[in-house]
Amino acid sequence: MQKDEIKARVKKVIAQVLGIDESEINDEANFIFDLGADSRQSLELVAAFEEEFDIEMDEDKALEVQTVSDAVDFIAQILV
Amino acid sequence: MNYRNLTPDEVDFLERNRCSADDWADVMVHPEIDLSRIQGVRFEGKVAIGKLSGTLTADDGRILSSGIINSALQNCTVGDQCYISDAGIIRNYNIGDRVVIENVNALATRGESYFGNGIEIEVLNEGGGRGLVLFDRLSAQLAYLLVLYRHDNDLIDALKSMINEYVENQKNSKGTIGDDVRIFRCNQIFDVKVGSHAKLTGVLSLENGTINSNEQAPAEIGAGVIVRDFIILSGSQVKDGALLTGCFVGQGVRIGRQFSAENSAFFANCEGFHSEAVSVFAGPYSVTHHRSTLLIAGMFSFYNAGSGTNQSNHMYKLGPLHQGILERGAKTGSFSYMLWPSRVGPFSAVIGKHYVNFDASDMPFSYIEEVEGKSLLTPGMNLFTVGTRRDSAKWVKRDRRTDPDKLDLIHFELFSPFVMQRVLAGQKILKELYEHAGRQQEFVKYKGLFIKRLLLKRTIKYYQMAMKIFLGEQLLKRLQALGNVENSEQLRKALKPENEVSLEEWIDLFGMFIPKSELTKLLEKTKNGSLNTIESFYRALRGVFEKYDDLAWSWTAALLKEELNIDVEKIGGEQLKQIIDEWKENKQRFNNLIMSDAQKEYDVNSRIGYGIDGDETVRDLDFERVRGNYETNGFVRELKRENAEIEKLADEWNKKLDKVF
Repeated sequence: MQKDEIKARVKKVIAQVLGIDESEINDEANFIFDLGADSRQSLELVAAFEEEFDIEMDEDKALEVQTVSDAVDFIAQILV
Repeated sequence: MNYRNLTPDEVDFLERNRCSADDWADVMVHPEIDLSRIQGVRFEGKVAIGKLSGTLTADDGRILSSGIINSALQNCTVGDQCYISDAGIIRNYNIGDRVVIENVNALATRGESYFGNGIEIEVLNEGGGRGLVLFDRLSAQLAYLLVLYRHDNDLIDALKSMINEYVENQKNSKGTIGDDVRIFRCNQIFDVKVGSHAKLTGVLSLENGTINSNEQAPAEIGAGVIVRDFIILSGSQVKDGALLTGCFVGQGVRIGRQFSAENSAFFANCEGFHSEAVSVFAGPYSVTHHRSTLLIAGMFSFYNAGSGTNQSNHMYKLGPLHQGILERGAKTGSFSYMLWPSRVGPFSAVIGKHYVNFDASDMPFSYIEEVEGKSLLTPGMNLFTVGTRRDSAKWVKRDRRTDPDKLDLIHFELFSPFVMQRVLAGQKILKELYEHAGRQQEFVKYKGLFIKRLLLKRTIKYYQMAMKIFLGEQLLKRLQALGNVENSEQLRKALKPENEVSLEEWIDLFGMFIPKSELTKLLEKTKNGSLNTIESFYRALRGVFEKYDDLAWSWTAALLKEELNIDVEKIGGEQLKQIIDEWKENKQRFNNLIMSDAQKEYDVNSRIGYGIDGDETVRDLDFERVRGNYETNGFVRELKRENAEIEKLADEWNKKLDKVF
């Protein structure tokens, strides 16, 4: 899967989980500081990415992901 | 003690020292008494006075010469080396040795009294039906049975019969002030038994109660306190304007700062400050510290109340009969509200206001949040929070009970068979919910709560992590007890459980973990009269308490069979290493997640308001000076150290097992 497609789907998931508009999500946005994700929503994002891309993510490593572009890279690595 | 009557010359001497008596023949004294130490004393009824010699120290450091000054004594015995001054009236008391009583308006036993023993208080259900009989040997375990096992009439009758026998023995028309008691500046104390070494200072009113106290664990009752119908146990403090009516205060409890409570019981190491409690059944380590908190008609254990915590049962129609259950380790956030009846599972956190009746008992370590008016359950989320880790570590360290005779039996383990059975149940329920949920669903409903469908699968993993950690912990505890391992046969023999291997139900008996079968055996013995005194019941209970490690291992063996199809008596080296490796991996991951939670306290959001008049550099410097930094934080360092130890221990055992198998 191309990174652009991953990015588009990542943003779609973020918008759904955090209840925000996709246009508000830029690549370097930090999930907590910029997008306002709380602890539960952070877990929800991990679960949503898993479902969207049909992958398994390590909890502790996944929670180290801070920004949208980090998430795209992280998922891209798993999908390789 | 061989007291003697006064001689006519001695009576004359006392009268010249402003003393008087109804009948001097009723006044007996120690053979070596120094009568110059008795001045301005009125004697009524039969009074006996010990040897008045030596000095004592007042609470403000003054040196007091033993003696009785400006006081009235009616039907009292006074021990040796006491100092009694300005006591308006002391009536019907046996006073021990080295007691100081100064500036007390009235200290009296008014006819026959049980001194608070035998009082029944309505805990948990305000409207009654779960009456708890108070007495000064009441333990958390016995109280739990009395309050919650109402379905078993025979048991309740047997327990009450034992208690009644004990209570009857406490009846006396004379109260007791034990040795070395200090009573300063108190208003009125009626029908109160005071144990040795207790200190009562500035009390407004104590009525109908017992204060257990001893040299190792003195009790302290402080200024402005008003307490009626009570039992206070050793090592406890009730101070600073506390108002208690119909209350039990267990060992090592702290009550103060105008806390008020009625019909409530607080077991070992509870703390009640500022707030209010009504019909509260508080197991060990339950704490409420904030003025705006009302705890009502609930059972709590290892509980922490956030400010403004409140519960109510205003939906009732036939009376306030509802009840709330918060299991071990539950906590409530600031201004949380719950509608009773509801039940919160072990080690769960309740945040926000919940207007539904819910039951989350099979979902331990959960967050129960209010999100857009819904009560949202996130199972397992509280497993890897700083709070859970800190709480479980602090309880052991904060056991304030210094009395060698500890009444409440307490197990501190975070992961126990009791909690793990809930983890198993939670896992099973979550799997079922996941299998039946459609992808279009945002939520699934569960016993009054909503769970985000997306989180079902992930939260099952949290419970699986906990299970693997538990299995490894139990195995390593067993292996560590072995020390050196010679061969595989010796190892398998050591792993053989002493008790029946069964995944049976475990109960948290208000602090003590116990398999249901063991409790049933004990209760049968109680009902058939084999255990027929409080002390024999306690001895039997302690016997089971001390077998915890063995009983937990038997349960673990059953779990290994069930979950991994491993028979511990035939276990192989690779299987053992697998359990240890999975323990290592999950325990370290678990710690990493807790560290990740801790790291949030150092992020930019946590720095809001720091460096108040400066730029970002000033903000960061101010923050670091005040809060330190993540890397040097003691809690974080402890977790890192633990991770290193986990690595070392796992390696050590893997090497040992390689040699043996």
